[in-house]
Amino acid sequence: MTGLAKRRTLLVACALALWVGLPCGAPAATHFLLVEGLGGERRYSESFREQISGMLAAVRRTAGEEALITVLAGTDATAGRIESAFGALAGRVSPGDALAVFLVGHGSHDGGGYKFNIPGPDVTGAQLKLWLDAVPAARQLVVSTTSSSGGALDTLKGARRVVITATKNGREKNATVFGEYFAEAFAATEADTNKNESISALEAFQYAESKVKAHYADHQRLATEHPQLQGERAESFMLARLGEAAALAEDPSTRELLDRRESLELKIADLTARKDELSQSEFLQELEALLLEMAEIQRQIAGEQAGSGGERQ
Amino acid sequence: MLRGWRWVAAGLVLAAGSPALGQRGDGRGVRHSALVPCDELHDRGKAVESAACYRGVLQVDDPAAQAEAYWMLGDLKAANDRFREAIKLEPEDPDLRVRWGYLYIDTHQQVEAGDLFQEALALDEDHMPAQLGMATVLASRFEGKAVELAQEALKRKPEQAEGYLLLGRMALEEGDLAAARERLEKGLEQALNLGLAPLEAYALLASLEMLEGERDNRWVDKALAYNPRYGRVYAEQAHFYVITRRYREATERLRKAVAVAPSLWQAHAELGVNLMREGLDEEGRRHLEIAYEGDPYSAKTVNTLRLLDTYDQFDTIEDRGPGADAAVRAVFRLDKDESQLLLPYVRELTSRAIDEFTRKYGFELKSPVRVEFYPNHDDFAVRTMAMPGIGLLGVTFGYVVAMDSPSGREPGGFHWGTTLWHELAHVFTLESTDHLIPRWYSEGISMYEEWMADVRWGEPVGPEYVEAVRKRELLPIAKLDRGFIRPKHAGQVAISYMQAGFVCKFIAQRWGEGKLVELLRGFAAKVPTGANIEAVLDLSPEDFDEQFGDYMRDALGPALDGLPRWRRNLKAALERAREGEWDEAVEPAQAAKAAYPQHVGSGSAYVLLANAHDKAGNREAAVAELQEYERRGGRQPETLKKLAGWLEEAGRDAEAVYTYDGLIYNWPQDEELHARLGDLHLEAGRADLARREFKAVLALDPLDRATAEYNLARAYVKIGDLSSARLHVLQALERAPTFGPALRLLLQVKQ
Repeated sequence: MTGLAKRRTLLVACALALWVGLPCGAPAATHFLLVEGLGGERRYSESFREQISGMLAAVRRTAGEEALITVLAGTDATAGRIESAFGALAGRVSPGDALAVFLVGHGSHDGGGYKFNIPGPDVTGAQLKLWLDAVPAARQLVVSTTSSSGGALDTLKGARRVVITATKNGREKNATVFGEYFAEAFAATEADTNKNESISALEAFQYAESKVKAHYADHQRLATEHPQLQGERAESFMLARLGEAAALAEDPSTRELLDRRESLELKIADLTARKDELSQSEFLQELEALLLEMAEIQRQIAGEQAGSGGERQ
Repeated sequence: MLRGWRWVAAGLVLAAGSPALGQRGDGRGVRHSALVPCDELHDRGKAVESAACYRGVLQVDDPAAQAEAYWMLGDLKAANDRFREAIKLEPEDPDLRVRWGYLYIDTHQQVEAGDLFQEALALDEDHMPAQLGMATVLASRFEGKAVELAQEALKRKPEQAEGYLLLGRMALEEGDLAAARERLEKGLEQALNLGLAPLEAYALLASLEMLEGERDNRWVDKALAYNPRYGRVYAEQAHFYVITRRYREATERLRKAVAVAPSLWQAHAELGVNLMREGLDEEGRRHLEIAYEGDPYSAKTVNTLRLLDTYDQFDTIEDRGPGADAAVRAVFRLDKDESQLLLPYVRELTSRAIDEFTRKYGFELKSPVRVEFYPNHDDFAVRTMAMPGIGLLGVTFGYVVAMDSPSGREPGGFHWGTTLWHELAHVFTLESTDHLIPRWYSEGISMYEEWMADVRWGEPVGPEYVEAVRKRELLPIAKLDRGFIRPKHAGQVAISYMQAGFVCKFIAQRWGEGKLVELLRGFAAKVPTGANIEAVLDLSPEDFDEQFGDYMRDALGPALDGLPRWRRNLKAALERAREGEWDEAVEPAQAAKAAYPQHVGSGSAYVLLANAHDKAGNREAAVAELQEYERRGGRQPETLKKLAGWLEEAGRDAEAVYTYDGLIYNWPQDEELHARLGDLHLEAGRADLARREFKAVLALDPLDRATAEYNLARAYVKIGDLSSARLHVLQALERAPTFGPALRLLLQVKQ
């Protein structure tokens, strides 16, 4: 991970750590585990492969180093390998770190609960919970884009965990389209609703959710999947950086400015959280003051970029 | 707030025209003789004595007699049980099934009643009362076959009153007063000859003379002299006022009905519904609640009460005319979830229609127009009850217009702009004639006005209409109302709409629009269609029909004989397109277009050709095809959006705006449509219109709210309203603090 990337992650991690009551200090990292399940049919296998590869390209830029990323696909995605991957994570992840797990494929649900379909015996929701619980990361994100994935919501939920599923329960058993849109969000400027040139888990979810709705409406079909998000602060998981943000992150000349910008972002988030305590004019006045400062920083960043030949927005 | 009204299928609501049970003779199935003395007391309005008498019949050892007695005592469940028991004992008796069928009619279950009459006919195909029962059910749905069946039943047994009365009722509903009088007088004569109570005949004759112009006539007096509690005489009159859309008069009759007979639940229900049609919801609710207490089986009552309970989910917005002291001239009731999106467009269109129709028809509205949009089609269906017709999109009750909201329909399946325009034209034609206008002319004017409002609006000419013209099956002008009220086949209503529209277009083109207004005045003066045509156009109705036929055949052009060629070529073109052989699709698609150029429905040749040209790299030709598709009323939103996008790409912004703007009246739920249109307006310096479009984007609760707020702020900057611009740019930045363009706009606003 580059120095700047670490510092950026640290800022977010500090905010998170304070929120969950952990000390803030040591550099934090986000660890990624991506698992591609069985496709069954060619069209699904191809689609799952594309989804994983799209997400992988994005998280590589976010994580900054390969060691933070584990991918299991094809014959590697067995229950044993998945368990081993979680075991390794449990050993190396610090409490201040974050963990993001993506399960792409088909799922099922019976009396025994949710199952993620992989070569060999399926992985159950209960197993996933056990393995996730063993990883000390203060913040965890689990995304299952499979059919019936909503059947795992109750099992996987936890105080330090955000869970995203393609369906609202285990009874929604049809193959889903949610995963395609969720993966698409990693590179979609349209998904970047707060315009910070990065895609958070919340933004990816909202993007995919709206696309799923539109998909069924356009095809004039009754929706057979209803995506769910459980847990708080999904916006704090940064999954992908878009174009300029990725370049800026590597540019030492803008480091200080970026740090100042992020600090301002935190102040604005704090102000927004206190919005109900203020009158509208007070709120707007305070917001405006912070934003004018932000505008100045943005101007300086653009100037630096222009000076170093970077692109100007 | 739902008060626990059980939901009753909306499909039942059209049963509202069912006749009240009245005439009791063998024509409606044989009943036990023990009931006769009780019926006589009942028919004379002696409620206490008749109830005691019916209670006595409960002791008769015959479940069918007991069923009838329970029925008359108001215990419908026990009546139902006894009929079931009776049929178990006498499974081969068709009369029992007919009587049971009438119990179902009395409890508003026409489908079940129809099943029982059919069962009776299966036992005895010549069973006259079963035939008449079936005719009664069909008549309640305004189906043309009812007349045929009733005539057959009458042929089978001419010595009866019921068949004549049913035929008389249907003639009244069709507005054929002469035929109605003949049949009703015959029915009365038969009733008196057979010693039956003449109440139903009196009530129908009272309705006849009311339609002839005398509301409180001798038949009303006779009915009340026979039975002072016979409120049905007024309720029957109200029924005929309702189907001729004279709701205020219907309300007046229904008030009398419930005053004479406070326990006439159906009249309370009708009164409640009518009061709502006049916008008097609370008083309407009171009568509906009374009706529900007495008759919880009525779909009309239950569904309307449920609808009333949903009204707190709607916004009510008043709109004043131009000028500081202007009176309210429109009131809008829009679902809270979509009122922000729809209001600007609905308000503007309503205002434009009021101005246009006031000028054209020389009539000033005397009351505000009330426009209601229902996103739930069932709610709209409840609002339209008692209206004969099919596939209704909107309904006008005088000053109240109710219609589906575009969100209640599939994209492209419903053009709300043209529908609202159509309904608002009705407001003027109904009110300027005190609702005396015949249905065909009111519909005709509305259809014509749609075509006049925008070349893209109005119904395109469908193949069924072309076929009807070719086969010379259009109804004569003097009988065109029948196509609406009692169509002979399922497609006749739609054909009659189109015919009525073209009749008005023909008149306007041949004699000038002024003649349309003159005809309207003639109808207001109660001149019948034939005489009105003759007086205004100086042409006999027969000559008019001939000239109209020639005009219509000319107007259809190649389509008149082109349908087989169109079908054959379109099929070939679609097959080629499906195979991806676009070059080969062009020739048959051109041939299909030439054979029936008006066709813009599903599988339109214009769309096919546009795709073929586009795939061949000829975008200009593709655009030309889609513009022709649009001009002829093509409505697929995705196709039209594609056209607008192509026009934008070609730098033809003004044409793109025209297309996007047209889409608003078709599928306004499209966020991208408003965003594109807003941008184009802003670029062209139309900041007010840009603001409207960007506000529409926000009303759609977009995923990317920051951009929507920013765009709105941009429009406010152009308008010069910097305070609003500041508010919206801050709202954009609250969500997206690093949003560069918005930060720059903030700096601009601060300067």
